[in-house]
Amino acid sequence: MAAALFATVCLIAACGLVYELVAGALASYLLGDSVTQFSLVIGIYLASMGVGSWLSRFVVRGLAARFVAIELLVAIVGGWSASLLFLAFAYTEAFRVALYAIVTIVGILVGLEVPLLMRLLRERFAFKDVVANVLTFDYLGALIASILFPLVLVPHLGLVRAALGFGIVNAVVALWSTWLFRGVLGAPRALRTAGVAVLAVLVAGFAAGDRLMAAAERGLYADDVIFARSTPYQRIVLTVWKDDLRLYLNNHLQFSSRDEYRYHEALVHPGLAANPAARRVLVLGGGDGLALREILRYPGVSHATLVDLDGEMTRLFTQHRDLAALNGGSFRDPRVTVHNADAFTWLDAHDDTFDFIVVDFPDPSNYAVGKLYTTAFYRLLKRHLARDGRIVVQSTSPLFARASFWCIERTLREADLATAPYHLYVPSFGEWGFVLAGAAPYVPPDSLPAGLRFLTRAQLLPMFDFPLDMRPLPVEPNRLNDQVLVRYYEKEFEQINR
Amino acid sequence: MSDPTGVPLSRRAFVVAGAAALVGLTRKGAPAIAGGFVEDDGPVGHRIRDGIAPGAVRERRRVPLVIVGGGIAGLSAAWWCERHGFRDYVVLELAAEAGGNARSGANEVSAYPWGAHYVPVPGPRASLARELFTELGLLVNGAWDERTLCHSPQERLFWRGEWHEGIESFVGDSAEDRAQWSRFQERLAALRASGEFTIPVSRGRPARSALDTLTLAQWLDRERFTSRALRWYADYAVRDDYGTSARDASAWAGLHYFVAREPDEKGPLTWPEGNGWIVRRLLERVGPRVRTASAVRAVTPVRGGRGVVVRTEDAEFTADACVWTAPLWLAPHVVDGFGPAPVMTTAPWLVANLTLREWPTDHGSAPAWDNTIVDSPGLGYVNATHQRLDHGGGRTVWTYYHALVRAEPLAARRALRALSWPDACALVLDDLERAHPGLRRVVERIDVRRYAHAMARPEPGFLSQPWRRALLASRGPVWYGHADVGGLSLFEEAQDHGVRAARAALEHLGRGAARRQRPADLNE
Ligand SMILES: Cc1cc2nc3c(=O)[nH]c(=O)nc-3n(C[C@H](O)[C@H](O)[C@H](O)COP(=O)(O)OP(=O)(O)OC[C@H]3O[C@@H](n4cnc5c(N)ncnc54)[C@H](O)[C@@H]3O)c2cc1C
Repeated sequence: MAAALFATVCLIAACGLVYELVAGALASYLLGDSVTQFSLVIGIYLASMGVGSWLSRFVVRGLAARFVAIELLVAIVGGWSASLLFLAFAYTEAFRVALYAIVTIVGILVGLEVPLLMRLLRERFAFKDVVANVLTFDYLGALIASILFPLVLVPHLGLVRAALGFGIVNAVVALWSTWLFRGVLGAPRALRTAGVAVLAVLVAGFAAGDRLMAAAERGLYADDVIFARSTPYQRIVLTVWKDDLRLYLNNHLQFSSRDEYRYHEALVHPGLAANPAARRVLVLGGGDGLALREILRYPGVSHATLVDLDGEMTRLFTQHRDLAALNGGSFRDPRVTVHNADAFTWLDAHDDTFDFIVVDFPDPSNYAVGKLYTTAFYRLLKRHLARDGRIVVQSTSPLFARASFWCIERTLREADLATAPYHLYVPSFGEWGFVLAGAAPYVPPDSLPAGLRFLTRAQLLPMFDFPLDMRPLPVEPNRLNDQVLVRYYEKEFEQINR
Repeated sequence: MSDPTGVPLSRRAFVVAGAAALVGLTRKGAPAIAGGFVEDDGPVGHRIRDGIAPGAVRERRRVPLVIVGGGIAGLSAAWWCERHGFRDYVVLELAAEAGGNARSGANEVSAYPWGAHYVPVPGPRASLARELFTELGLLVNGAWDERTLCHSPQERLFWRGEWHEGIESFVGDSAEDRAQWSRFQERLAALRASGEFTIPVSRGRPARSALDTLTLAQWLDRERFTSRALRWYADYAVRDDYGTSARDASAWAGLHYFVAREPDEKGPLTWPEGNGWIVRRLLERVGPRVRTASAVRAVTPVRGGRGVVVRTEDAEFTADACVWTAPLWLAPHVVDGFGPAPVMTTAPWLVANLTLREWPTDHGSAPAWDNTIVDSPGLGYVNATHQRLDHGGGRTVWTYYHALVRAEPLAARRALRALSWPDACALVLDDLERAHPGLRRVVERIDVRRYAHAMARPEPGFLSQPWRRALLASRGPVWYGHADVGGLSLFEEAQDHGVRAARAALEHLGRGAARRQRPADLNE
């Protein structure tokens, strides 16, 4: 009997320490600077334990029942602490708040445990033995936990399952306590039912530990993820729902198979159809091969060169059955050459010229991509333009990112190019914009290739007209040494996401 | 322990490692870091200073003009000569490579600077700098080459546990700070309007100035600038430019930093190898006449001051004129009849190049070219791959700067010399790990260069020191052209003084040669 009681002390001490270590380790992993994180977690935890001990004076009746209830609470909160913190980090801005709240709650509960237990035991043993034994086993439990944590728990279970595992131990201790203190417990049945429920939830969580982690990522996407891979450059994720195939790069939607034809027809044909003599075409970015599909409709095009940074993208869109079907097998066309290289350095290193250049980069959301939207880049592009050649630039949304759109247009003009901005509606994106640029003013085409699904000649002209809420704004050009575009874009993006 | 570098060596690292080990967080043992000291000029300097006799003369040569020192000043002097069709000169450089404080290095990851790493976009008055950069193709029809201008984001500051782009948010953190910052800007505008501060200094040089009678810290006190952020920034500026703290630097020199330049373009000009790029381009023009590993041991005026004999370790040059562009503190030990040593102190610096396997932990705004940690004893680091045009990422090289200003120069110099390479690494890493926890794990190598005498310190009174005026008024046969002559160690100053000295020497030679034939292109 005595042994069982003191084993209980030992176990709850170990549980308490594990939750503290889990919180400290998680904070260090996610926030870095382990000294600060551990100091704060330990400090807050110890102080909360003090608060718990102090609060214990207010527990006067039903000691045993309260003790079991507290055990169950610790089991729940402590057991789920790591999972909760991971999710808080993935989904909210309030990771620190969650962290310190959990540490405080667990600390207070654990602080309540030992005084209550001592008072329960006082009736059975001499007080001096209670104090001596409880503290001895308390410290022993802490020692065991601190050895197990780095050597067994973290390497073999990981933080999520280590916390859940010790939650289970806590719940078992609670159930066992209903038996240990059965003499002084009023209504053991209710507590036992609660205990079993808590245990079941924790065991389920423990079994699903790996999937819990994956859920953090899956939660970001509404649909089923059919492909996900991190390349050195980006995270590629493909989702599918019914017949809608979607590509995300770094969590940004690149296309939906339901309406991508609108985007890609509008990207390619207004410029390319206007130059019937075009033979050599260059695509920068566009590793999905969808712009190529549109370009290859022109029998006059004899060479299409695609430069995309990420070899994984072009490989995926060459080999994956559904994706190759979507781009019409454009990567297998003999007219196509693929270079996996950085566009800026590739252009610097080559001096070929092209009749049409498609610039389809991700939106200018950071300084690294922003370089590909600068006067320096457009001047370089201009050197690769054949006589009568033209460039088209994907230019984000003139509605949601109006200053950004007009900044791109202004930057092209700053590089001594004549521009022709236009826009269209793509359901999965919203209102979207492009800018055509060339040495001479743009003249719309007389005809369009056959087999299109969206674009008509009649449709073409209105695209070049901008309604009032998309009209030009006064903006600065974007330069390497003054990337105003990234700042415009950041500001506009913040407003949409508010 | 009094530690003149101001960084408690390794203690912090030990605690971090200990705490991490305790909870089993050390994923892998940090891999060993390679590297060492990269220094090749200290010992020769001391042989000169200690008067150890040079070896036997193996070669004797007659050459009209000898330029001593192949830093920016010396190479600019040579550039000036070439531009005026004069090629009868030799540049004698102590080190194995020319460049001095603007030297650079390279490894398989990137080229990187060993010292000077940028030139602020030269304003309209810096005509010599504009002339050079026009010749080098960076200034075409009044427009600067965009690729050479420092790309966005230029700078960021680390404070309150995070990086913040630019300095504005730091110096304007509270309403009081903001008020003082705008008052500071007003003061600067007024000083700018005075026309007293120019770059190069010779364009508006006041013989003396009331602002040169007090230190920058005293000036800030006098003007009741108490904002901690503003004072940190002012101190940082003079440590960064002159290797001197606000407590020691002349207020005039400090304010010059803020006032003298009115760039019309966001800059500065920078290259992966820093001003080593300028050195390389100058060497394309003057390289054949530069002799490296040729420390000048003695410069002796002869023929009643109408000629000079320049002695290296194993050669002797008989010349009509000499342009001295080696550091000035050396001149009394080398130039016969130089007179008393110039009254000045020099700043010791430590520069380290860190090769990184990958970008380390980083919190806050995006990596910038110049990355400064507030309240650090060092000056932060510049990223050598910042000017690359591709997507970036992956391996890189950081150049870490640290002017040792905590102790007075002599003690700091001694501490610097006593530093072992592991000590130096610990100093660098402990400083940078404030902002990049776990940096050690991604560092492949650390190469360190110690500058015992990096530059003259512009202390109060420096503007009006008589010896400076005496050097500027030299009538030959030795003309002085190092940046130290003016007292502000800056590219434009080195260039200006080098060219001024070369011009004076050419004029002297022209007069001498007038009886035979007067080269028309010499009188500019
Ligand atoms: C760490 C550091 C960073 C700096 N960063 C910048 C910056 O970013 N921008 C800027 O404008 N300025 C910077 N400076 C200032 C820099 O000193 C000047 O820009 C400029 O390079 C000075 O050129 P100089 O020719 O006057 O002197 P030095 O570079 O000192 O050249 C003197 C030359 O003389 C040689 N020499 C010495 N003794 C002898 C001898 N006996 N015989 C022959 N040769 C000898 C030396 O080896 C050296 O090559 C920096 C300086 C340092 C130390």
